[in-house]
Amino acid sequence: MRLVDYLQQNALRYPEKTAVVSGGESCSYARLWQMVLQQAATLPAHQVIAFRTSQTIDFLVTYLAIHLANSVAAPLEKGMPEGLYREVSARLAACPVGDNAADVLYTTGTTGRSKGVVISHAAMIADAENLIAGQGFTHELTFVAHGPLNHIGSLSKTWPVIILGATLHILDGLKDAGAFFDAFRQEGRYATFFVPANIRYLLAFDAKRFAALADCLDFVESGGAPLSHADMLHLCELLPRTRLYNTYASTETGIIATYNYNDGRCLAGCLGRPMPHSKVMITPEGKIACQGDTLMSGYLGDEALTAGVLSNGTVFMSDYGCIDEEGMLHILGRENDVINVGGYKVAPTEVEDAAMEYAGVTDCICIAADHPVMGMALKLLVVMKPDTPFDKRSLARHLAARLEPYKVPILYEQVAAVARTYNGKLDRKHYV
Amino acid sequence: MKEQIRQLLEDSLPLVDFDSDFLFAELDSLGVTTILMLLSDTYGITLEATDATPRNLKSLDSIVAMVERKLTAR
Repeated sequence: MRLVDYLQQNALRYPEKTAVVSGGESCSYARLWQMVLQQAATLPAHQVIAFRTSQTIDFLVTYLAIHLANSVAAPLEKGMPEGLYREVSARLAACPVGDNAADVLYTTGTTGRSKGVVISHAAMIADAENLIAGQGFTHELTFVAHGPLNHIGSLSKTWPVIILGATLHILDGLKDAGAFFDAFRQEGRYATFFVPANIRYLLAFDAKRFAALADCLDFVESGGAPLSHADMLHLCELLPRTRLYNTYASTETGIIATYNYNDGRCLAGCLGRPMPHSKVMITPEGKIACQGDTLMSGYLGDEALTAGVLSNGTVFMSDYGCIDEEGMLHILGRENDVINVGGYKVAPTEVEDAAMEYAGVTDCICIAADHPVMGMALKLLVVMKPDTPFDKRSLARHLAARLEPYKVPILYEQVAAVARTYNGKLDRKHYV
Repeated sequence: MKEQIRQLLEDSLPLVDFDSDFLFAELDSLGVTTILMLLSDTYGITLEATDATPRNLKSLDSIVAMVERKLTAR
């Protein structure tokens, strides 16, 4: 069964139950199914259909309607520059995909360059079943999704919600903290997903209201980037009865393992045991490899790139890890140059290529810098032509016109030269 | 103080137009968090998420006014 088939089933089983809430509007399962049916009738079949991700009910309608039309949903970044959006959409529409494909999710992920990850209907259902078994999603739950719905962290939570006939409350980020806390006002059981920067924000500026959710929050999942041990301990103290999960997941592997660190031990770096549809192993080089029903089908239109990551039913990750005597996965570090910014993976080369197109830049390097909110932020070190003024804001705007918003560095510095290795390559290790 | 706050915020949020009268609409979650964190650290004032209202973050002038109010109440 596909996700949209569960929606149809739940429209019959629970027609009046609230399926989704957003921006003051709510929509029952029966109504959602009707809207999906109507939109599906207008869509082509067997095509990858790209669309901008909005944090609204319309997003869910479009997403599920594409599935119902037997096409493949490719939700793209809301703030993607128009030129890039048109280019990616056209490329996707021309790509042949298999009958089992459900989604193409854009990610930098494990290889360090942007590409479309193909997720099958079966993988999506396996991910949902992993979450139901591993974290305890229920029919009664309202899941508050405030993160971008084109990202697997939040998108994957819509899957168990639809399967179980639960409720999804969509918010547009955490900028309006009042709207976030209002989402928990009705009596009921709730859950949500945060990247570490969200948690740091709430702990720093809204700890009282956050603590007041202790009795209605069934569980909180964090992912995308490692949560600091201090923040983990603080959360355990603030929400003593809430299950607090750190999860190992990626677009390529799906949702693999999860650990409730509110277990009295609060183990840093622990990601728990694999969930029912997944297996985890450590390669002889010490890297994490995953098997099971949640794995991607491959990278869209790139067999060579796929073969470099997925072979014999195993996805080989760039993360180093180990498995302890209790069978729990621990993450130890990452091999490649990808920089994790608030849960988004950014390939520095992509930023550097765009910066080199800016008039007056003769050399540059994009590095990770400590940031009090995100943990890690992008910093661009720039070498300018002699006598060319350095206008940081103009360069930032140049980059924003070419890259997704999360790839635009926050910090800039003009330097005389950037470090290179003996063979002329950028020396990233110099800046670690 | 206004120019000092402008410099401080522009350094960390280079894409935001601090001359805008619709500043709150331009900001994302990270921008709001960054402003609260920088101002509380720099001026030793206590800011909470409830201070991050569209009114307080409407423009650079309204941000300056919020900092002045917090400094007076300290």
